[in-house]
Amino acid sequence: MRNQNENILANIDWSLIAVYLLIVCTGIFNIYSSVYDPDHPGLFDQVTQHGKQITWFGVSIFLGLIILFLETSFLKKYAYWFYGATIVLLVLVLFTPPVNGARAWFGIGSFGIQPAEFAKIGVSMALAKHLSSFDQNRSKENLAPLRLSNFISQARNHFPTLMILFIPAILILLQPDAGTFIIFTSFILVLYREGYAGNILLFLVIAVIIAVLTLVVADSSFIIPGIKIKLSGKTGIVLSLLMLGIAFFFLIKSFVLKRNRRPLYKALVGSLIVAIVFVNFIEIGYSTILQPHQKTRIDLLLGKIDDPDGEGYNINRAKAAIGSGGFTGKGYMKATLANEQQSHVPMQSTDFIFCTWSEEHGFIGSFLLVLVYTFFLIKVIVIAERQRANFTRIFAYCVAGIFFYHFMINVGMAIGLAPVIGIPLPFFSYGGSSMMSFSILFFLLIKLDSERKIVLQ
Amino acid sequence: MRNMDNRKYVIALMVLLVSFIFTLQLFYMQVIDDKWKDRAAEISENKVITMPARGVVYDRNKEKIISNVVFYDLRVVPNQAINTDSAALIELLDISMEEYTKRMNVARNYSKKKSSEFLPQIPPNEFSAIAPELYKYPGFFEVERTLRIYPKNSGAHVLGYMNEVNDKDIAANPYYKSGDFIGRSGIERSYEEVLRGERGVKYYLQDAIGVETGRFENGKYDTLAKQGRSITLGLDWELQAYAEKLMKNMVAIDPNTGEVLAMATSPNYDPNLLVGRRLGENYLTLEQDTMLPLRNRATGSAYPPGSTFKLLMALIGLQEGVVNVNSSFPCDKSLSGCHNHSTARGISDGVKMSCNPYFIQLTRRIVQQGKKKSYFADAAIGQDIWAKYVESFGIGQDLHCDFPGLTRGNVPNTNYYDTQFPSKEKPYGKFGWAFSTIYSNAIGQGEVLVTPLEMANIAAIIANRGYYYYPHFVREIEGAEVPEIYKQKNYTLVESQHFAPVIEGMWRVVHEGGGTARRAKIDSIPICGKTGTAENFKTIGGKRVQMIDHSIFMGFAPMDNPQIAISVYIENTGFGGTWAAPLASCIIEKYLTGTVADTAKEGRILRTNLMPDDTKILPPKKPKGQR
Repeated sequence: MRNQNENILANIDWSLIAVYLLIVCTGIFNIYSSVYDPDHPGLFDQVTQHGKQITWFGVSIFLGLIILFLETSFLKKYAYWFYGATIVLLVLVLFTPPVNGARAWFGIGSFGIQPAEFAKIGVSMALAKHLSSFDQNRSKENLAPLRLSNFISQARNHFPTLMILFIPAILILLQPDAGTFIIFTSFILVLYREGYAGNILLFLVIAVIIAVLTLVVADSSFIIPGIKIKLSGKTGIVLSLLMLGIAFFFLIKSFVLKRNRRPLYKALVGSLIVAIVFVNFIEIGYSTILQPHQKTRIDLLLGKIDDPDGEGYNINRAKAAIGSGGFTGKGYMKATLANEQQSHVPMQSTDFIFCTWSEEHGFIGSFLLVLVYTFFLIKVIVIAERQRANFTRIFAYCVAGIFFYHFMINVGMAIGLAPVIGIPLPFFSYGGSSMMSFSILFFLLIKLDSERKIVLQ
Repeated sequence: MRNMDNRKYVIALMVLLVSFIFTLQLFYMQVIDDKWKDRAAEISENKVITMPARGVVYDRNKEKIISNVVFYDLRVVPNQAINTDSAALIELLDISMEEYTKRMNVARNYSKKKSSEFLPQIPPNEFSAIAPELYKYPGFFEVERTLRIYPKNSGAHVLGYMNEVNDKDIAANPYYKSGDFIGRSGIERSYEEVLRGERGVKYYLQDAIGVETGRFENGKYDTLAKQGRSITLGLDWELQAYAEKLMKNMVAIDPNTGEVLAMATSPNYDPNLLVGRRLGENYLTLEQDTMLPLRNRATGSAYPPGSTFKLLMALIGLQEGVVNVNSSFPCDKSLSGCHNHSTARGISDGVKMSCNPYFIQLTRRIVQQGKKKSYFADAAIGQDIWAKYVESFGIGQDLHCDFPGLTRGNVPNTNYYDTQFPSKEKPYGKFGWAFSTIYSNAIGQGEVLVTPLEMANIAAIIANRGYYYYPHFVREIEGAEVPEIYKQKNYTLVESQHFAPVIEGMWRVVHEGGGTARRAKIDSIPICGKTGTAENFKTIGGKRVQMIDHSIFMGFAPMDNPQIAISVYIENTGFGGTWAAPLASCIIEKYLTGTVADTAKEGRILRTNLMPDDTKILPPKKPKGQR
């Protein structure tokens, strides 16, 4: 044991630990500024959010130390058990009284625990264990020709994988907690890296572009110059797709050998049909299925409407706070919008914590924070790639995906590039559950990574 | 596996791409685009204007005649005023329950957490009763505001009043913001920019509800309100109050400086009526008064000067050399009616007796100098010579007086008769008229019109033997010089040696038997004056009807060292010697000695209603003699 412990400490990635401590400590001082209350000026005052955050940090370090001294084999062995436990919690939480319209919290005294936060850990571990158990043939599978029989056999193989993801995702959707649900789509990155998702990512990007275009022009119409025919926005998109298809047809005709053309034509026609159906689906969904307030949110994000004091209140205040920071910021403790006293920016210590930081430290501070998170994410990917053990690599990608999504949506929301979805910025936002769950993910990664050489022996 | 390994670059690139896009967006929002900075200021900062106290106005003896007083605005924060004993409060504030409910609802509708005005502009005497009780009503508090007070309760028309700016004022001058007050008339308006001071501004931080949470940058950008500068007027408030007590339209000028000593108009009102929360109400009452108390007749009306105008004819005749000191004209009653008097044997006699034919014949010599063969062409030249002289006495001219809304008199010159007489539609035209057409001007009864201010200025000119200072109110301005324009002498076209016989005549008017203004005589002071009785006509129902004459007096005193020049107009009260002359003498005596010795004379004026009676129509008659 003694020998192994020495190895753990020796192989811990201290640079990642340093970044972790940097983000957490900066976060605590930022929360202090964000919620500063002259009646409770103490940094450790447990009435305040910064005081509580410090406690949660302490608890997280404690959990982290436990994880570091656990046997890796134990973690791997009981991965499904952790998963099962989180599923049980997700089921049980549905029977609690709703808080703010969602059954997402277990209340313990004044503290609350969000099982959805811990579900991410369980899913990550279960996914790592499941995928690492049969990764020998996956590249072959992926290269197999696109046939229905292959598709079915693949689907059969993928069924447990899909279940691991879908069960907690659906349970979280039942709470409902759209934010955490969206985080579950981050596992697509893991599947992609592991060779399963294939071109899903590419399709997804194309689908998102088509969907956004469709939503932008939905409910609008235009007149073709010259012939004066009025067309709906949707028709315009469909026409554009058809023209794109014709362009591709001529490209294939001119540059591809005759014998190879046929399957490409088929793929082209197929994609076109799928795309056109998809456009109609989005358009109908947008204009008939969505509730008016959901439609408003989409319209706000796309800039189709502007409602700074109504539906767009949150994002308008958040952007004003960030924009007013200027190049160097207003200075620590000097935010005039994103703080508790002024309370212009809602949830400024949790979901919109980036605003306080950005307002007080300006572009320089914001850029540095983005840089630190980028470094952290790239570092996690580097760690993932240096693993020989598939379990650790897959788990590391889960961590990278989860953190990446949180970073992308939280910051993107504050600066008006992502829809307003209430999810925390890892290690930075105030919140016990998120602090602990992110820390557990982090320390699990540190622990697994520290044994990258042991596995070799 | 090789192709799978490449996917790590895709994922890493995605991370880098997102970070890059975020950085660009942050740079745009925080450094390039000012939109969000403006938006943030709009949301989080509250600019509170502090109004400066207005400048104080003193009279020539450094008595405060316009000052400031602290009024109180009662404000309420509805959320803090939940358990208000409304029954007791409405009694304390002297308002009805409906009003209380209404005002409370207005406040609540505005904001429950922010304070809003509950009862504005409570005068200090009323508030002293409210203040000690106010602690019983949480949520209610007072805010001070300074308002105007007129300690002497007089001089309303001179001092003017203030009210809230309207859209036109705001459009015309960006200094003003909605809710500001602006000097609307009189001195308050003339010296608005001196008196208004400089606004202060405080920047507060406010929270999402709009409640103040602190000072922006610790008050780095705040400025203090700066009180308006004080001004001192040439006005003598005791004289002003006395003149208003005697109820007439008068202007008194210090001929040595051109400073207006008093300017009264009747009817008048207490200037304090147009201050505070009852301003609107009181203004409406005054505005609807059929006596038109808001109208300043001393500056806003021009009247026929009547016989006082003869003084100018004598002076012009002497200057032109068409008459001399001893010129005599028969009292030819075919030209005009006249009263019975002995023949005027010189200018002085003519003035004293106020002989109409004398001055008509005199003026004919000015207008018809025989320079052209044609009687009409000669009149065209002569009338312009005449008009130039008359204008040099300030009639119809810009007197550069620091007072708003001044009307000017009228001096009919050749062009006027060519194009506008007897009407604009059907003028006689060039060479269509001669002196015989327009001779009424000679006795101040034709187309010539003079305002009381101009008339007082003419009195000052005669007192000064030929020059005047532009009449003005201001004597000192804090931190600035009185405009140079008020220090320059303006000479008439009549040289000073010609004034002696006219002044002698004016002295005889008051002091000799047969003089028309013997009621103006005061034993201790040699007064020079001239009465006038102006016929006046009004068009009622399309018919020109004659009204009761205006009673006019103008003069100065003492004769050799003039200290006060005065003009008095009493509308529709008859002969000038009866009322205007004794009134003027009371004012002169009051100013020069401080008291009025002849209490019987003063009492007679005070007992009589000298309010203009513009309803009594005289029966048609032959024009009678002008005195």
